[in-house]
Amino acid sequence: MAGERPDPKLDAIQFEVVRSALVQVAEEMAVALRRSAYSTNVKTRQDFSCAFFDRDCRPIAQAFTQPVHLGSFVELIPTSVKTYGAENLGPGDMLVVNNPFGGGSHLNDVTVFGPVHHEGELVGYVASLAHHVDVGGGAPASIGPFQEIFQEGVIIPPVKLVKNGVISEDIFKLLLAQIRSKRVTSGDFRAQVAANTVGARRLTDLVEKYGIPEFDRYVAAVIDYTDRRTRSEIAAIPDGVYETEGFLDFDGFTDQVVKLKAKITIEGETVFFDFAGCDPQRRAPVNSTKAMTFSACAFALRALMAPDMPVNYGFYRHVRMNAPAGTVVHAVHPAPVVGGWETQVRINDMLFRALAPGMPTKIAAATKAMMAQAGFGIIDRETGEYHCNYEALAGGYGARATSDGPDAVQQHGQNTENAPVEEIESHFPMRVTRLSLIENSEGPGKFRGGLGMRRDYHFPDDPATFTILSDRDIAGPQGIFGGKDGRKAYYILNPEGPDGPNAGVVELTSKCVIELQPGDTVSFQTPGGGGYGPPEERDPHMVLRDVIGGKVNRERAHEFYGVVIDEHTNLVDEAATLKARTLMSNSRELSN
Amino acid sequence: MTAAADGRYRIGVDIGGTFTDGTLVDSETGQVTTSKVLSTPADPGAAFISAVQKLLSMDGGIAPETVEHVVHATTVATNAIIEGKLAKTAFITTEGFRDMLEIARQIRPSLYDLQFEKPAPLVPRQLCFEVPERLDAKGQVVTPLDDAAVDSVVEHIAESGVEAVAVCLLHSYRNPDHEQRVGKALRARLPNVIISLSSDVVPEFREYLRASTTIINASVSPIVSTYLASISEKLLASGISSELLVMQSNGGVYPAEAASQSPVFMVESGPAAGAVAAAALGSALGHPDVISFDMGGTTAKASLIRDGKPHVTKDYSVGGAAQNGTGAFGGASGYPIRTPVVDLVEIGAGGGSIAWVDSGGALRVGPHSAGAEPGPVCYGLGGTEPTITDANLVLGRLDPNYFAGGEMSLDVAGAREAIRKACAEPLGLSIEGAAHGIIEIANTAMVNALRLVSVQRGHDPRDFMLIGFGGAGPAHAVRIAEQAGIPRVLIPLGPGTASALGLLVTDVRMEGSATLIVRSDEVEFSRIASEFERLEAAGAEAHRAAASASGDPTFERSVEMRYWGQSFELSIATPDRREIDDAWMKELIESFHEAHETAYGFRANDEPVELVNLRLTTVGKIARPRMRKLDAGGADASVAEKGERPVYFAENDANASGDGTIGFLQTTVYDRAKLPPGVVFDGPALIEEPDATTVVQPAWQVTVDEYGNLTIEQR
Repeated sequence: MAGERPDPKLDAIQFEVVRSALVQVAEEMAVALRRSAYSTNVKTRQDFSCAFFDRDCRPIAQAFTQPVHLGSFVELIPTSVKTYGAENLGPGDMLVVNNPFGGGSHLNDVTVFGPVHHEGELVGYVASLAHHVDVGGGAPASIGPFQEIFQEGVIIPPVKLVKNGVISEDIFKLLLAQIRSKRVTSGDFRAQVAANTVGARRLTDLVEKYGIPEFDRYVAAVIDYTDRRTRSEIAAIPDGVYETEGFLDFDGFTDQVVKLKAKITIEGETVFFDFAGCDPQRRAPVNSTKAMTFSACAFALRALMAPDMPVNYGFYRHVRMNAPAGTVVHAVHPAPVVGGWETQVRINDMLFRALAPGMPTKIAAATKAMMAQAGFGIIDRETGEYHCNYEALAGGYGARATSDGPDAVQQHGQNTENAPVEEIESHFPMRVTRLSLIENSEGPGKFRGGLGMRRDYHFPDDPATFTILSDRDIAGPQGIFGGKDGRKAYYILNPEGPDGPNAGVVELTSKCVIELQPGDTVSFQTPGGGGYGPPEERDPHMVLRDVIGGKVNRERAHEFYGVVIDEHTNLVDEAATLKARTLMSNSRELSN
Repeated sequence: MTAAADGRYRIGVDIGGTFTDGTLVDSETGQVTTSKVLSTPADPGAAFISAVQKLLSMDGGIAPETVEHVVHATTVATNAIIEGKLAKTAFITTEGFRDMLEIARQIRPSLYDLQFEKPAPLVPRQLCFEVPERLDAKGQVVTPLDDAAVDSVVEHIAESGVEAVAVCLLHSYRNPDHEQRVGKALRARLPNVIISLSSDVVPEFREYLRASTTIINASVSPIVSTYLASISEKLLASGISSELLVMQSNGGVYPAEAASQSPVFMVESGPAAGAVAAAALGSALGHPDVISFDMGGTTAKASLIRDGKPHVTKDYSVGGAAQNGTGAFGGASGYPIRTPVVDLVEIGAGGGSIAWVDSGGALRVGPHSAGAEPGPVCYGLGGTEPTITDANLVLGRLDPNYFAGGEMSLDVAGAREAIRKACAEPLGLSIEGAAHGIIEIANTAMVNALRLVSVQRGHDPRDFMLIGFGGAGPAHAVRIAEQAGIPRVLIPLGPGTASALGLLVTDVRMEGSATLIVRSDEVEFSRIASEFERLEAAGAEAHRAAASASGDPTFERSVEMRYWGQSFELSIATPDRREIDDAWMKELIESFHEAHETAYGFRANDEPVELVNLRLTTVGKIARPRMRKLDAGGADASVAEKGERPVYFAENDANASGDGTIGFLQTTVYDRAKLPPGVVFDGPALIEEPDATTVVQPAWQVTVDEYGNLTIEQR
């Protein structure tokens, strides 16, 4: 299908050549960053992003890593350049910044970026963002329930980390002095600088080839192209006002759930996200910054579009929203924001739920919709070195109109890998004693939600500080169109026996810092995804497959799906199943 | 099976998607004979043997007993994975980790797609078992192996009727004892079932990567061994009793018996052959640094060769939704394999790749391919969507009456119409302008692939020579070199079957490794020495047992290293001395700093360096066939002129782009078979041979060397 024609004066072929070369710049930055980084969180889990911005600070090309970061970049780079002054940045300079109230997200996400010049003229900016495993503050890994931003770690306004290609030692030392995991963190910073250097070199090559005026023309064309496609994709979404409400289960301090509200208005080629009605910001770590909320909207919109759509300013300019300042979706100073991603990702889930009536085959039922962050710190008995680890765990994905939600996978803007057990055990004196799917945790449905995941952290010989920043303490992810909810999350100290709480264990909350004694174990159990459609309509053979694989037990197959499986033959008992299902749909009709 | 003492001939057979290529080399004269037959996917062995028989019957007949050995490149392992036709396999792991395969890396293969699927685990959950046991990261026993529990798991597995079992226990790379005991129990109870232990296959840390590699090894093993046995049988029936060797992913060959046991080492057998061919050719001609560019019907593959050796990586995935690939982000959707693979980038741009205009009005090429059926529009076999081959035809780069040496005539009008409808009209371009755009966009994708294997590894492509081959390679190589700034291109004789020649110019290579994970300032030198000695003894033993095609083995030692705290290692060749002392270590560390700077742009002299794995490659040298010099001919290229035709070369004329009235240049067409060695002529030119057409851009000059290769240089 052919749409509108691009600028007829433009060479259509050269356009495609430059477009792919620009993406290549960001990809090469990502490879350099990943391969030379030190922390497991960056090098293995890929909790970072890279991008190129033009001289007007418009995002032009990104490496496809973590969409949550990419969305927040859009605000951070222009704000930081404006604050610092473009005129104060020379060739080979780089700024470092993480200020949540200046376009940033939580303090762990630290961006290093710098200008690229060609023959003295500014071409644009290359930026890399990494989630640092520790940025100081009240607990190792810098996550936990705090009441002010100042407890969350070092706040970095845009300052010059690299001057004319050389790291400014004074600033670097001051920064590292606030941070627990000094060696690893300084390695990660160096990797960010290396990535930017690679990016700048590649861009200069490109500009040299085309000359600045020609290069600018193609950059503008890349934006226009994306703009045209974005408009035609939005126009394909049925017009209407889509609304929903939801909540975050626990703010870390009070028993008041955090109320969230979203309204999406689609009208022709425009879309508007309105968050009026969300709770005021709290003295609790659940406040999302404006940039974080923006990235939720951007992800939702992008996910509804064609898979090959580029993401740059031509797309982002269409993401318009109202997030009232001083609320949990647009925190202002001095609100704590470290758990803002919990609110952000819950909003993402809500946006898909809101849109479900308009595009039932494009969305998914509720996912884990929490970042599921776990951190710990251990002080080396021999050297006194402070080691920190941070990771974010997968959960069940929501079911879709024609397929089950995948088991144990990341959701929405989050796509970080797990840390290999053998890798983290070789770095820290601890053991992962269990990494498994949680059986029977799926939200039943015609298509079922994915299973949640369990990871147990055991500290045999050393005391450790363990910190959890997550959610879903109260309710599991919601099913849709008659599908049932998935199992909620559990956080358990010294688990015994099967998954979930039982006598003699201590249940922890989703936002806590806890001092562990040698021999203690923390069991982190993430939720299952929501189901899609009535479970009694599920293909009995898919139920059988789950029973054979041990993902769903026989009792559950009978109770939720009305499928009876013969104990001896391991086959579906067709007659008994028909009977059970008839009963189920009758009682459904009765209750309606 | 032993090599015939008087073996004079060597045979290489490369099975591809469309064709099976055979190459026979006479080691006395260096004469190369090739054969091409259609592949037979249902029974690949049928095409294999007919390619061999065709070779034997050429030139008045060759006695089968004079064949020294047969080398084979096959996609049988990779196809089994991609098509999901693996042997029924069980998996055993440490208690608590049964779901290692289900969880995999917990990521989605595509970021914005809410309807994504995770790659299905290679072993279903009901065939994944746990045994109580645990080692710590140092390999010390935390929980002893419960032998009674092992017996009960083995009994369960026996009842399930599997053909293979993979075992991967945590930290077994440090201490294989528990795995070996589980293996022993399995072998005792299930003598006819394939057993793969992770500590044998890839004794390296990161449990999911090791498990995935081990499972792939186990589950393709029954298929590969059956296949190789049937090939051996067919060779015997044809009177060839000499050794059958198989191309590995790392560019070396190994005996069929070794391949049957460790098939995970041959997953990229076919593509590796092309890189090896380019490496051998480059070295023989005095160009150890080359980029290999192999373009066929559906994909193009690029790899970098330095000092005559293809770059080898272990960051690799196979199968899943995306195509195979190496690189940090290469295979999020597939199954990782941690065996050495020739580092190549494969992209969906081949002669059959389809051109289209997207909803934003941009011209795109691929990744969809018209394949062999229905094929490009110009084949007249029912294809309706324009392809790269159609675009080449419209631009005059292919002769409609000399395709496949004239066996097939091409439909120019059909190709023009398809390009007009699908691309030219929506974009407001002339047909030629659109066709030219299709070629340029495909070329750009290929230039990016070249950048991935060069720039991204810290090498400047301008320092390399490009070797172009495969059916479509010669038509694109010169323009790609032009775009990438590469000053020199080489097109070998018989580019369509060059890859099969790679099978005959490599050595027997067998890999061994041992994990250390220790800082350079804490390691005991005696430990390094004894580990290397142990690996050498094992390598020599394996070599004696299997590889009779080569003489005494030599050993290549390397160490995978990183800065303490990093996760990605660089493989560093050790100093060339057996004695390991302070000076040896200092030299090794300096080599690492240098390699790190080349790869990532910085070195950290004060940082501790970690030795992660010791690697040993046992090499059995196989003598190279001599290249045959052509008889000196006349010094004038005009004897090979076939005629002239207009060819579109708009890329060299900014005014011509998009118009179509200008851009055509009258171009001389040469018959490659008649080009005498030593002649020099300028582009624009077309050089035709039955399996390929070389397109030479105007600013380039061709020299035919004494072996018949075309060297094409920027004027």
